[in-house]
Amino acid sequence: MPEPILRVKALKKRFGGLLALSDVSFSVAEGEIYGVIGPNGAGKTTLFSCLVGSLPPTSGSIRFRGREIAGLPNHAVVKRGLVRTHQIVRPFRDMTVEANVSIGAHFGAGKRRGADARGRVAAILERTGLGARAGSLAMALPIGDLKRLEIARALATEPAVLCLDEVMGGLNPSEIVAAMSLIRAIRDSGLTVLMIEHHVHAVAGVTDRMLVLNFGEMIAEGVPRDVLQHPEVVTAYLGDDAGAA
Amino acid sequence: MQDIAGVLVNSVISAALYATMAYGLAVIYGVMRIINLAHAGLMMLGAYATFSLFTRFGLDPFLSLLVVGPLFFLFGVVLYRLVVRRLPRSGATPSMESLLLLFGVWLVLQNFAYFIWTGDTQSILTAYTMKSVAVLGVRVGVPSLFVFAGSVLSLVFLNVVLKTTYLGKAIRAVTQNRDAALLAGVDADSISAVAFGLGTAFAGVAGGMLSTLYAFTPDFGRSFLLKAFCIIVLGGMESVTGVAAGALVLAFLENGLSAWTTLPTSFQDAVSFTLLFVTLVAFPQGLPGLFARLRTAFR
Amino acid sequence: MRRLSLAAGVSLAVFTLAAPLFLERGTLNDVWSLAFAVILASAWNILGGFAGQVSLGYSAFLGIGAYTTVLLSLKGMDPFLSLPIGAVLAAIFSVAIGLPAFRLRGPYFTIATIGVGEAVRVCASSVSFTGGSSGLRMPAGSFDFTRNYEAMAVLAILTVVVAALVKRSAFGQALAAIKQDIDAAEALGVNSTRFKLGAHALSAAIVALAGSLYAINFQYIAPGSVFDFRLSLSIVLMPIVGGVGTIAGPVLGALVFSTLQIKLLSIPALRDSYLFIYGTLLIVVMLFEPKGILGLLRRVFNRRLRRFYADA
Repeated sequence: MPEPILRVKALKKRFGGLLALSDVSFSVAEGEIYGVIGPNGAGKTTLFSCLVGSLPPTSGSIRFRGREIAGLPNHAVVKRGLVRTHQIVRPFRDMTVEANVSIGAHFGAGKRRGADARGRVAAILERTGLGARAGSLAMALPIGDLKRLEIARALATEPAVLCLDEVMGGLNPSEIVAAMSLIRAIRDSGLTVLMIEHHVHAVAGVTDRMLVLNFGEMIAEGVPRDVLQHPEVVTAYLGDDAGAA
Repeated sequence: MQDIAGVLVNSVISAALYATMAYGLAVIYGVMRIINLAHAGLMMLGAYATFSLFTRFGLDPFLSLLVVGPLFFLFGVVLYRLVVRRLPRSGATPSMESLLLLFGVWLVLQNFAYFIWTGDTQSILTAYTMKSVAVLGVRVGVPSLFVFAGSVLSLVFLNVVLKTTYLGKAIRAVTQNRDAALLAGVDADSISAVAFGLGTAFAGVAGGMLSTLYAFTPDFGRSFLLKAFCIIVLGGMESVTGVAAGALVLAFLENGLSAWTTLPTSFQDAVSFTLLFVTLVAFPQGLPGLFARLRTAFR
Repeated sequence: MRRLSLAAGVSLAVFTLAAPLFLERGTLNDVWSLAFAVILASAWNILGGFAGQVSLGYSAFLGIGAYTTVLLSLKGMDPFLSLPIGAVLAAIFSVAIGLPAFRLRGPYFTIATIGVGEAVRVCASSVSFTGGSSGLRMPAGSFDFTRNYEAMAVLAILTVVVAALVKRSAFGQALAAIKQDIDAAEALGVNSTRFKLGAHALSAAIVALAGSLYAINFQYIAPGSVFDFRLSLSIVLMPIVGGVGTIAGPVLGALVFSTLQIKLLSIPALRDSYLFIYGTLLIVVMLFEPKGILGLLRRVFNRRLRRFYADA
């Protein structure tokens, strides 16, 4: 088996007396779509923050493309090819859509400048369906477009691994179908995708493998079919809603 | 050379005053997420108000605090209603607009003081200004003792208000968990008005007490604003015990340095500033940043 | 609007450069002050406006430039040769201050910079080699006002050009991203600390150059003059009142303040009201038009334009 592109070992994050992540370990193979699910407050977003370095992990190892990245600052991790989106979108509101995306192109792993950067930005805007919006200010966009902008900016950094934090939250069923095909297309273009999702069935439909967190602990990992039948997952995460959903 | 008892006694006395100063800043920050730069100007105004009550009506400076406190509370509420409230609502982090607006208020207050009291250096001389008594074998000026008593009384008063009254409880609730408190139906506007009034009253009272210890001009208060800020950075913006601890650390460092080193007194003000920087280097985001991260991590 | 301000800028630049040909010394002095104000406002704006890091401690850099020039001139160096040395020293100092201070965000950073300003002023008046609070005098010698004037005018024009270039570059884009959402900028690969330090150093160096020319012009400096509260105040207020984060805004602000200084504050009754005027301006701008005079002009202009098209 080849070296996984991302290998997390015994990752721990403590806030004061609270253990937000305890001994989380998993590996993601190149070209996989890997899901992270769990109830609110399970530590999913904290996990992403530790992976990209916006929060320093308390202990543990994160190996990305064969090199240790735990403890590196966020911008350095991005330059190595690991990037995340935010669940609550964070566009630069006073900038145009194009300028938003070009920040990623300029300062991400690609470090593109001038015409090279402009070409790359235009291609990504086309691909994410924002081409017609290139010149509008980010603050004028509806939420669906803002979610796409969040992905477009991350793609512009030219990552090897893209971490998506609940990109389907708040979308309607037809938008979810579109988002799922976009995620597949991103994978098919050669990227590895990690995705947090609250919407279990959306994840199960698109991921190769998934991980379930509850109160910062891993309670299951594997292919979606097995994970969703895991008794602990059914009680802890799906709870009484399991039958209804 | 002074012994350790001297440094300790003096530290506790200054810490009480520093805490009074810092609470004024902290209560406003806690409720409104605004750093009140006008705090310096309000302390200066408190000093002049006490001065005027003393020279015009012969009112003892410490008795006049009973007038200055309520007066400044009202002034704070008016300032909030007329000016501060008109700012666009700021979120979880203080906005630059609020800082600059209150900087403007500070400048106007300074000019007001120049206009009324001129730029001459003033001080308050009472019958007991030069007297001192022995506390635990240490000579302490009588005004310092009164300042200590006044500070402790104000802090006790604040604590009672925060713990027993409805508005006080609401202030604590908003400070501890802003979103939850607002969701629970706390009226943000009137809570903010009361908090701004309380903060202003504490600035006025602290200024009044400072006027019995130091000479002052309309430019007075800047170094004390820095001290107050240093204390809340050290101790955390929201915690009551944190502010007290921060005040003690700063007071102990200042008194210790002046007793045990030959540093010129002009550098004494630099202590708080240096401490601020050391804290910032030791804690990557500063203590408030640390707290902010803890808060946002679970969103 | 953009073409209009470009035309206005170019004519202002030509006027400033050609002024010695037709203006008398007294008026020329006023234009010198305007150029000085434009430099301070535009340089501050690179960090404070573009990157949103509002510093109240810029008089420190002005002082470093001024003191470097006077001290080196006293050692026999040509004052104009000392300019780059002062600029480099200020840039180094700005990095030393910025490394810890930029760990703080927004208003916390601002308050720390008040401390920097205070500390530098205290040091300059207590240390012996700066002449303490009584200050230092330039060595007696030939002082050439025209040479100083031309240097100040060229520096003012260069500063505005540099600011415009920065704003359009990738560097400027990074600063804009930092200003709007520093965490989101980091999440896209922007090394925010490095860019903030870069902006701080660039603006500090420019302000130090202006400080050197200030010392050469007045031939005498003291903590009370270069670290004057009024000076550090107007460094911040000019760009904010004019229009923070823009190119034309700080120039506009400098024009307004120089005029205020010359016309209004020369009236004895008003001289003591500068704090009131500055404070009120700040309050009014923050409450009603945070984008400053330029924002106001844009609003009026756009409304006119819209009405024009509606009528046509």
